[in-house]
Amino acid sequence: MYLLPCHPFAQEVCEFAKMALRELSSLEKALGLKKPNKYSTQGDNKQVPVLQSNSGPALSGLVTIATHLVKQANRADLLGESAEHRAVVQQWLEYRVTKVDGCQKEEIKPILKDLNSYLEDKVYLAGNQFTLADTLMYYGVHHIIMDQSVQDKETYVNVTRWFDHVQHYPGVRHHLHPVVILKNRLYTSSHH
Amino acid sequence: MTKDGVQGVAEEADQAQSKKGLKKQQKEAEKAAKKAEKQAKLTTDQQSTDDDDIAKDRYGVAPMVQSSERLDRVLVRVQELTPEKADQLIWVRARIHTSRAKGKQCFLVLRQQQFNVQALVAVGERASKQMVKFAANITKESIVDVEGVVRKVEQKIESCTQQDVELHVDRIFVISQAEPRLPLQLEDCVRPEGEGDEDGRATVNQDTRLDNRVIDLRTTTSQAIFRLQSGVCQLFRDTLINKGFVEIQTPKIISAASEGGANVFTVSYFKTSAYLAQSPQLYKQMCICADFDKVFCVGPVFRAEDSNTHRHLTEFVGLDIELAFNYHYHEVIESITDTMVQIFKGLRDKFQTEIQTVGKQFPSEPFKFLEPTLRLEFMEGVAMLREAGVEMGDEEDLSTPNEKLLGRLVKEKYDTDFYVLDKYPLAVRPFYTMPDPNDNKYSNSYDMFMRGEEILSGAQRIHDAQLLTERAMHHNIDLEKIKAYIDSFRFGAPPHGGGGIGLERVCMLYLGLHNVRQTSMFPRDPKRLTP
Repeated sequence: MYLLPCHPFAQEVCEFAKMALRELSSLEKALGLKKPNKYSTQGDNKQVPVLQSNSGPALSGLVTIATHLVKQANRADLLGESAEHRAVVQQWLEYRVTKVDGCQKEEIKPILKDLNSYLEDKVYLAGNQFTLADTLMYYGVHHIIMDQSVQDKETYVNVTRWFDHVQHYPGVRHHLHPVVILKNRLYTSSHH
Repeated sequence: MTKDGVQGVAEEADQAQSKKGLKKQQKEAEKAAKKAEKQAKLTTDQQSTDDDDIAKDRYGVAPMVQSSERLDRVLVRVQELTPEKADQLIWVRARIHTSRAKGKQCFLVLRQQQFNVQALVAVGERASKQMVKFAANITKESIVDVEGVVRKVEQKIESCTQQDVELHVDRIFVISQAEPRLPLQLEDCVRPEGEGDEDGRATVNQDTRLDNRVIDLRTTTSQAIFRLQSGVCQLFRDTLINKGFVEIQTPKIISAASEGGANVFTVSYFKTSAYLAQSPQLYKQMCICADFDKVFCVGPVFRAEDSNTHRHLTEFVGLDIELAFNYHYHEVIESITDTMVQIFKGLRDKFQTEIQTVGKQFPSEPFKFLEPTLRLEFMEGVAMLREAGVEMGDEEDLSTPNEKLLGRLVKEKYDTDFYVLDKYPLAVRPFYTMPDPNDNKYSNSYDMFMRGEEILSGAQRIHDAQLLTERAMHHNIDLEKIKAYIDSFRFGAPPHGGGGIGLERVCMLYLGLHNVRQTSMFPRDPKRLTP
């Protein structure tokens, strides 16, 4: 229902579209939406997901559509309970699609460092409340965390703690493999 | 230009030249005159000061020691300069580690291997100004004979190993002078990594050290490392001799590659070629078949592996064990692990000074081991890795990162840096490994690890000529090339097994160092053949 014929030269980029559509599908399940939506893609190399709605203009973009789904499911709390929280949620949603998506190998470390220092004193991205930002960020960094060595997971200890929390949050993990996170530290001393 | 014109120019040029020449000569003459004047002044100065030099017989550069006379003089070791010797007049031979002049005094640090002591030359009844100046100008690393009185100090001298005394110098003679410009500074050699960066002071990189190994080996850290290494060899020998083993010597020039054709050095051997032994494997086993029952050997091993890693050398010292057993190869594992434990205990009990000295430059966690040694089965190890998220097959060999991760998991679970992994898959072991009697996917073979890195690979060997032939054929090995090896099992061979460790790697891992070149005196790798 979501996959449309892709131009053969745009195969790699079609992966982005596929990933986005899978995320939206998982999000629908997480939100308890009974009727799955029909998506298409547009834009250069057809990488932007689009939702044609019966009432109103088409919505395009992962964050836009996800926000719409949340409202559709009457879960506006997942966007933040105060004005400040809402702003923070939007900020991290943007971070996800602008910085995390399509990042190069050398950009991974700075992203992890950013997240790690930010999450040092917060349970979730918006503070003490689980929001859409956590879900989409979890989808976005999953491939990075999957490939991390045990030692790296211990280095970015706050990211790891947050990730393990979110992947076990009821209803969140659908299309992604669970990542094994060890309970005990293996790399204790600073020297290795 | 006319001919005349040319000539004229030439003449002028000549004249100009001779004028120039004259000027030059004049200048040089002036220079020479000045120099002579200076020299004359110096010598007269010298003479005048010589006459006033009350100490002139008590210092200087001694004539080269050519064994012209045998002095009956006792030289005390720096290590023995303690408050017990206070007020004694003694002689010491040591190196000048540092010298610092301060007005009428000169502070020297005299170094002898791992120990150093402060010495003081001060203008007074016994020492003159010229003597203090002489002492301050002795180049670093020069070897000196010093006579002095041992004096107790009120405040501990933190920078020296002998903290409670200093030597008040009466006489000082240079026995062997060092050139003033050293290729590297010893203080820089022992500076811990990271500390140098903060203060802007240098540490010396490994290649520079290895290029100037003679000086690098003088540092306290190097002295400690190689004393400990000597200890490992001695403990290995002593433990095995006490267990009734016989030390054997095996040939290193051999006719066929013992471990496989790829990583072997070829040498020309008269009209033909020969190889440098990759391990004493064949000969250890032949000795067992020759009824020596329990043997070990210590000798060089040559691997032509083009690996530039932290843990590979092309030549290293192998400590190999082979023994016949009664009914089960676990008897062999127990013998080997017990030997290793005796070595660890011996190092822990008798080489603490060396371990601490190395630790100052290269801090690490003390080495931990269990008694009896922890033995896990290969499949248990695989299970632990899978639990930690690693995906691997049942018969897959452990990659180096997986070995290291497993080492960490074992350390976390059992609190040991040393363990055995038993029952490796048969597919990844050499052809002479005895298969497991109950499951032919596995074998009676084992690896041992220190701090997550492999130090020993061993097994029960096939002692039946027929089975050996089958396994060799299965591995597509040319039977002609190993005929002599197979023949040794045809006339009655006891069941046996063994293993070998690398001396340098064991020392490196015991001390928690990170490069095997630090524990090899004159390391050999694909890029290094000297010193």
